[in-house]
Amino acid sequence: MEVTGPVNDPAPPGQHARQLLAGGQLACGADVDLLFEQAADGNAGQLMPHQRDCVHCQAALAEFTALWAPVRDLAATPVPPPAGLTAAVLSQIRGLIRDVWYTLQGTSDGAIRVATRVVATIARDSARQVTGVRVALGRASHGRAATLAEASTLRHHHPHAAVGVLGRTAVIDLAIAVTYDHPVRDTARHVQQQVIRTLRDNPGLQAITVNVTVDDIVDDS
Amino acid sequence: MPEPEPEADDAYLVARARDGYLGAYDLLVARHSAMAYRVALRLAGDHHDAQDITQEALVAAWQNLDRFRGESSFTSWLYRIVTRQALTKITRGRAEGSLDLLGDIPDPADGPAARAERSIAADAVTAALATLPLTQRTVVVLHHLEGLSYAEVAQVTRSTVPAVRSHLFRARRTLGTRLSEWR
Repeated sequence: MEVTGPVNDPAPPGQHARQLLAGGQLACGADVDLLFEQAADGNAGQLMPHQRDCVHCQAALAEFTALWAPVRDLAATPVPPPAGLTAAVLSQIRGLIRDVWYTLQGTSDGAIRVATRVVATIARDSARQVTGVRVALGRASHGRAATLAEASTLRHHHPHAAVGVLGRTAVIDLAIAVTYDHPVRDTARHVQQQVIRTLRDNPGLQAITVNVTVDDIVDDS
Repeated sequence: MPEPEPEADDAYLVARARDGYLGAYDLLVARHSAMAYRVALRLAGDHHDAQDITQEALVAAWQNLDRFRGESSFTSWLYRIVTRQALTKITRGRAEGSLDLLGDIPDPADGPAARAERSIAADAVTAALATLPLTQRTVVVLHHLEGLSYAEVAQVTRSTVPAVRSHLFRARRTLGTRLSEWR
């Protein structure tokens, strides 16, 4: 029997890698940093012409691939964001936006107000139910009507609102995308009717203007 | 019953958000908050700091939408904001203006406080990452953990591909040595 090398004293794990990293080149002259880059980028299997016949390079690539495995595993590990993070971000942003409040009813028990963004959300969800609408985004108009309303109601600020009220009048802007197989004009008209109906029934608004902008058309196939 | 919401692309949502449609930004936040949190966590190494960084970055993005010119993707732009917020947080205000990879930002004295991942191997990588200078940590996170190309990393960090590659060479040597000791 011929023994060609030590069999009872294997190098500790990681020692080969440390030796490789300590030197700049392999015995064959290959650059260690380039080999490590190749392995770390997941290209150890794509051998270059020299590497196909070089045991030094192939051994180094295998060593670096094993060394880098925990980094690849970490990259593949999902990092779920904490619950409530998205809501916290949106809440902070909404705090930066001045809200115009709609006074819907004045009763003996007090006033009922609904924020414009709530109305915008109801309008958007209502528009989405119209056949042929694929994306709907809503905003409560902060145009001239809102400005006038704010100016006229400065004494009636809600404790948590930055501006005044608009009574039971609403101006809603909606941006929608329509599918190819539906007439744009008819679809937009249906959106207006649907949203007006919803806003009358749900938050109880009366004078409602719905401006629809069709700004995209999408293939539904 | 509403039909399933289709995928509106980022460019469309950004345009609508700039017009005042807050719902469009809702969708962008929902789509990208996980990425923002992940990058913040891996750079800062602390869950609480990562939450703060994510919130600050997404609010800053909202406030600066008018400055987004669309020359890069919204994702790249957000990567840049998150990275800058993270470095500012980590260095307690010492990071300035633009991210300059050619001049290393000094490490914070105390380093990350908590481990991001639970497995031992992930802990070893996270600990090794924490020993890197911030510029090297940034390029490793963006390239090796987020999968951005060298060109994308250079765009996010306002650097050059050779500079990014140089930082990665040095970072890999340090990380490799640390990981070999762990093995």
